[in-house]
Amino acid sequence: MSLAEPAALPVATSAAPRLDVLKRLGTRFKASLPAYLLLLPSLIFLALFTYGAMGRVLIDALYQRATPKAPVRFVGLDNIAAVLADPAFSGAVVNNLIYAVGTAVPSIGLALLFALALSRTNAVSSALRAALFLPVLIPMVAASALFMFIFLPNVGLLDYYIGRLLPVLPNWLGDPDIALYAIMVITIWKNAGYYMLFFLAGLQAVPEDVMEAAHLDGAGPYMRLRHIILPELKPTFLFVIVIATLNAVTQVDHVFVMTQGGPSNATNLVLFYIYQQAVEHYDVGKASAATLLTLAALMGLTALSFRTMANREGGP
Amino acid sequence: MLFSRRLMLGLAIAGTMAGALAFPALAGEGPTEIDLFFPVPVDGKLARDMGTLIKEFNETHPDVKATAVYTGSYDDTLIKTRAAIKAGKPPSAVIMSANFLLDMQIENELTNLDALIKADGTTKEQFLGQFFPALQGNAVINRSVYGVPFHNSTPLLYINADKAKEAGLDPSKPPQTWAELTDWAKKLTKREGDKVTQWGIAIPCAYDYCGWMMETLTMSNGGRYYNEEFGGEVYYDTPSMLGALTWWNDLVYKHKVHAPGATPGPAVSTSFISGNAAMMMLSTGSLTYVRDNAKFAYKVAFIPRNVRNAVPIGGASLIVPAGLEADKQKAAWTLIKWMTSPEKSGWWSRATGYFAPNMAAYKTPEMVDFLNKNPDAKTAVEQLDVAKPWFATYKTVPVRKNLEDEVMLVLNGKKQPKEALAAAQKAADETLKPYNAETSLKLP
Repeated sequence: MSLAEPAALPVATSAAPRLDVLKRLGTRFKASLPAYLLLLPSLIFLALFTYGAMGRVLIDALYQRATPKAPVRFVGLDNIAAVLADPAFSGAVVNNLIYAVGTAVPSIGLALLFALALSRTNAVSSALRAALFLPVLIPMVAASALFMFIFLPNVGLLDYYIGRLLPVLPNWLGDPDIALYAIMVITIWKNAGYYMLFFLAGLQAVPEDVMEAAHLDGAGPYMRLRHIILPELKPTFLFVIVIATLNAVTQVDHVFVMTQGGPSNATNLVLFYIYQQAVEHYDVGKASAATLLTLAALMGLTALSFRTMANREGGP
Repeated sequence: MLFSRRLMLGLAIAGTMAGALAFPALAGEGPTEIDLFFPVPVDGKLARDMGTLIKEFNETHPDVKATAVYTGSYDDTLIKTRAAIKAGKPPSAVIMSANFLLDMQIENELTNLDALIKADGTTKEQFLGQFFPALQGNAVINRSVYGVPFHNSTPLLYINADKAKEAGLDPSKPPQTWAELTDWAKKLTKREGDKVTQWGIAIPCAYDYCGWMMETLTMSNGGRYYNEEFGGEVYYDTPSMLGALTWWNDLVYKHKVHAPGATPGPAVSTSFISGNAAMMMLSTGSLTYVRDNAKFAYKVAFIPRNVRNAVPIGGASLIVPAGLEADKQKAAWTLIKWMTSPEKSGWWSRATGYFAPNMAAYKTPEMVDFLNKNPDAKTAVEQLDVAKPWFATYKTVPVRKNLEDEVMLVLNGKKQPKEALAAAQKAADETLKPYNAETSLKLP
């Protein structure tokens, strides 16, 4: 989405007299007119399908009806207050935090490990890379359907093997203590290969001469990893962490397919909470308010991480 | 270069706009075009069967052109129907989960069908009289008809007959009471030390199924799940439901014949098919699946009773959304009457495993033939004598979920039935509050 936003906004950089600034803005605008025209088609569609929808959510979040037959009326921030006071929402936020940390850390760790192990290109590593990337190509809904059968209590693939070791078999998706972790395993399995790609690209950017110098100075593999590779990968880390966090909020198809937030709300995540409010409770006001809160959190997070990145690029 | 790009852009925009303008002009003359939204709750083959059905309708009705639009699960169908109504383009007919009708009627999203029935020269009683009495409760709201039953189900007890014989039980005399069922389940559970290798019984509990099974058990225990006459009350914290949940809990933790935790429907049927569970309670909608996949002799029976024989119905009705033009409404009505006629009703029943709501369907020669070949399909129809409506309240789904979340905690050993049901009642009362505020508690 952000690709289509005007990249070359005319911004006055120097402190010139006001009239001069206006004139310069004018000429700049004239100069960038073709660019705006070229952006117009995507702007129209963005306005129709993205900004329009966001504006609608903003409006819907301010209205509510008191009883089913009553007309909707303006309630200000009441919807947001109602969402914040809803134990199901705070439960979903806590679940989502556990889910975000519990999926981002292992999948990024695994991705780095895979990338380090497979950074040299040869026939074997290419084949392994392809194998690790394969889960990315499987749609989440299809993967969820597969895992439903793997997780089937007593007769599933997992229990078939684990059943020989454990006397009592866990009900992977039916036990509120385990279900969220079962869901997290799928996310890690699916995303590690994707993040590996970024780390592989990042590793290509590690300067060869520095590595060689370190080698000559007698730095072992651990020293090289700790003092050269990891610092060089810092931008990659930042980027992947942002992507992983966004995924933890937006990629929750498996919750829809496998558990519908259950059992007893144990796997209810924020996006699914919004769906429940909009569809099951038919409460557009509350759903919009929850959407706004989520959007605000995501935008804040993205802005923060991009600023950190920009600081790093521009800093010493 | 720049100029030509701009020109191209201009042409592209002009082209799009022209296309958008020209499109609605294509509709208009000719037959009345209507859309039918239909869900596929069981398996993928149904989409093809629906195609066949609609094709036949269009060939025999030249003045109407119906298009069947596949809309996913029951829940998805509700979402898409509501979205279409909001966008001002409602479909002309929808196959809607029977317990969503009340909620939609409260939201003013349904067309009252009384006028269309009257225009045909029939009375409401004559029209409803075609269908099994058990199905009428979910189609009639405030004495007006809002839905026409299309395919329906009841829960059944499925028994692995081979395993029953192995355990010295007679599958031709299935358990009729909870006591007998408990006894059977104990005999059918196999253990190796602490480990259970075969469960006596499996009862599904996932959102949607769990509430239906709780209604089933509560009704067999003499109780009611909700107020059939008024959408603002449910009876969770009652002796009959307490007995039902306590028995289910006992099967898991006292008798240890039912696997702990909440098990979704597909897991239960797979468990039964693979021989891991010797008995299960599941919808008649799964009968075709069991018939096609069981590699052993099986037997279906009524849901056993503790106090009385009673089960809820399930399935879907045809509805006409509110806000349609008169000609589309009429065309939709023609389609609905055709689809629920004895011949089509019976054909659909044989294709899907649901029973046909139209009683006359069972007098058609094809159906008589089919039942002779598949006597197990008869049990569901016979059980209809003791069937009652499916729970439907204001905000049916959240109110149901208020109960299900608590039942899942009980099945996982985290709560006792009594406190779970009290919590469920409290939560449901809270969900129903706005509706009561404008109905039962709105006083002069």
